[in-house]
Amino acid sequence: MREYFRYFKWMYIVLGALVLLFVFLSAGHLALARMFGHDRDNQSCTTTERVFDYGDVLTDEEEEKLRRLIAKREKQTRCDIVLITLQESLKEYAREIEPGVGYDEFVRVYAEQFYEEHNFGYNSPNGDGIVLVDNWYREDDGRIYTWLCTTGRVKDKYSDAAVDHILDNVYRYVEKNPYRAYKTYINDFYHDMLGIQVFTLYVPGYLPWIVGLAAAVIFVVCNRRSKKGDKTTTALTYTGGVQPRFRVRQDRFLRKSVVTRKIQTSSGGRSGGSHGGGGGGSHGGGGHSR
Amino acid sequence: MIYKCKNCGGNAVYEPGRGRMYCPHCESKDSEEKIQGGTLTQCINCGAPLETKDYTSASQCGHCGCYIVFSERVEGVYEPHMLLPFHINKKAAVQALNREFSRRLFTPSDFLSEKSLEKMEGIYVPFWLYDYQACYDFTGEGVRIRTWTAGNTEYTERSYFEVVRKMDVEFDKVPVDASYAMEDGIMDLMEPYDYGQLRGFDPKYMSGFYGEVYNQPAAELEGRAKEKSRSASEELLQGSIQGYNTVRPIHRNLDLRKRGDHYALMPVWKYVYRYKGKEYQYHVNGQTGKVIGITPVSMEKVLSYSMSVFAAVTAMCYLAVRVLEIL
Repeated sequence: MREYFRYFKWMYIVLGALVLLFVFLSAGHLALARMFGHDRDNQSCTTTERVFDYGDVLTDEEEEKLRRLIAKREKQTRCDIVLITLQESLKEYAREIEPGVGYDEFVRVYAEQFYEEHNFGYNSPNGDGIVLVDNWYREDDGRIYTWLCTTGRVKDKYSDAAVDHILDNVYRYVEKNPYRAYKTYINDFYHDMLGIQVFTLYVPGYLPWIVGLAAAVIFVVCNRRSKKGDKTTTALTYTGGVQPRFRVRQDRFLRKSVVTRKIQTSSGGRSGGSHGGGGGGSHGGGGHSR
Repeated sequence: MIYKCKNCGGNAVYEPGRGRMYCPHCESKDSEEKIQGGTLTQCINCGAPLETKDYTSASQCGHCGCYIVFSERVEGVYEPHMLLPFHINKKAAVQALNREFSRRLFTPSDFLSEKSLEKMEGIYVPFWLYDYQACYDFTGEGVRIRTWTAGNTEYTERSYFEVVRKMDVEFDKVPVDASYAMEDGIMDLMEPYDYGQLRGFDPKYMSGFYGEVYNQPAAELEGRAKEKSRSASEELLQGSIQGYNTVRPIHRNLDLRKRGDHYALMPVWKYVYRYKGKEYQYHVNGQTGKVIGITPVSMEKVLSYSMSVFAAVTAMCYLAVRVLEIL
């Protein structure tokens, strides 16, 4: 046993340090949430719902998990956080409200209207908040559009680059795992509003197990010595350490050839800007398409 | 022949730790007296019958414990040209073994016992040492590849070179063991020896140890020495060809000329241990202390240690993720 503890001493010290750090941070995080936590002032909002999965891309369980996460993050950020998924063309709807609006902004019109119709806003109607509209329907131009609509304090806080950053992160996962993509949206928003400049780590639940298993396998392979011994001679062992003598050592250039290849580039779209909403609110944000 | 202490008549032996002859009975130093005579079948000291093998050149009498060097196996055509005396004694060899085993994590905790280590034997193993002059002529085509991008075009440039090398190198005393009893692979792993400590042969260095005369003549074993020299030449040549992505040989010729050979005795501590019905052999270089041999693996240790690593690393990853999530 003494041999065991002597060998694994550092592993257990690191583990203990991580446990302490985790406990310390959890306590700090709880205190921070209580400090920033504030009851919402807006009593005019027409709904308590935040997850509108009209596109039916989430399971009931996933919707419930997102609702719980949003409730927590809303208190921490003092902003309304709304998620809408759709599976329908917004062409007629959007052009009825804003004639001549482009394909890429149908979702913007929808997002702004939706926000204003329901009087979202944590501090006041059409106040601080954010809404993500992800329309899974492929419009006539063959593309799927997503819009992130920012209002109030969020609009001031969010630059085009910050909007792009969130949408990029959403698009990284949305096709394969919509739940993970929308969870990323909520957590990224929380990080941005609290001004915590950290990279967001996306780790599937099974990854620690895989890493642990890989570490155990590597540990056994490295320590399970099947060799009788190591070769400790080199090419110079029997030359007495004397380097070989070269009568001729020549590298003569013969010819040269150059081959070229065209690099294929991929295309994508972005649109954004600030808009005055139909209901008198002012929204910012931006969109992506896939 | 045997070496007797002039002071007490005990059997004087060569003591590696002291680097001189020593009488373990009266602790006299350099008090040895060579007693010639004796046969391969009878102990010169007590007259008891001896059990010697075909190539034994030094042994110990099982009856009186006296170390005997057989003159007819170390004289004339069997006289070694040189000998590397033992540099580490049995105690140091045991320490080397223990050090090595403690580094092997999965070796059973109850492996080895002090009692069995007493049976460790020091053996002078016969070697042939070959000297070669190597001349290597090489011509090949080397290719350097460079890739860069400009705009939306990727360029790949291949430059071709004629690579010519004419290399001379001398190899001195390339060792090949000349003992059937010693496994070639193990003896190769025992290398290298420090030839700076090679000495002219004197049978007194064999008193206190076992020994063998060469089992095969130099010509029979030369192939292995050539192979070692060829491999080293190839490595040295390749080391001189740098900076190419690929090299295609067009002409290569290695001329290995033997300049001479020497018959030498090299020191090896040999230890055989039976553990759970299986025999394990260990060899310790009698000069450098290098240990060669496989140790058994305790499955209990493998499971408990690997499970610990698995649990700890999984917990660390989980905690690290949670910490980052909080941040």
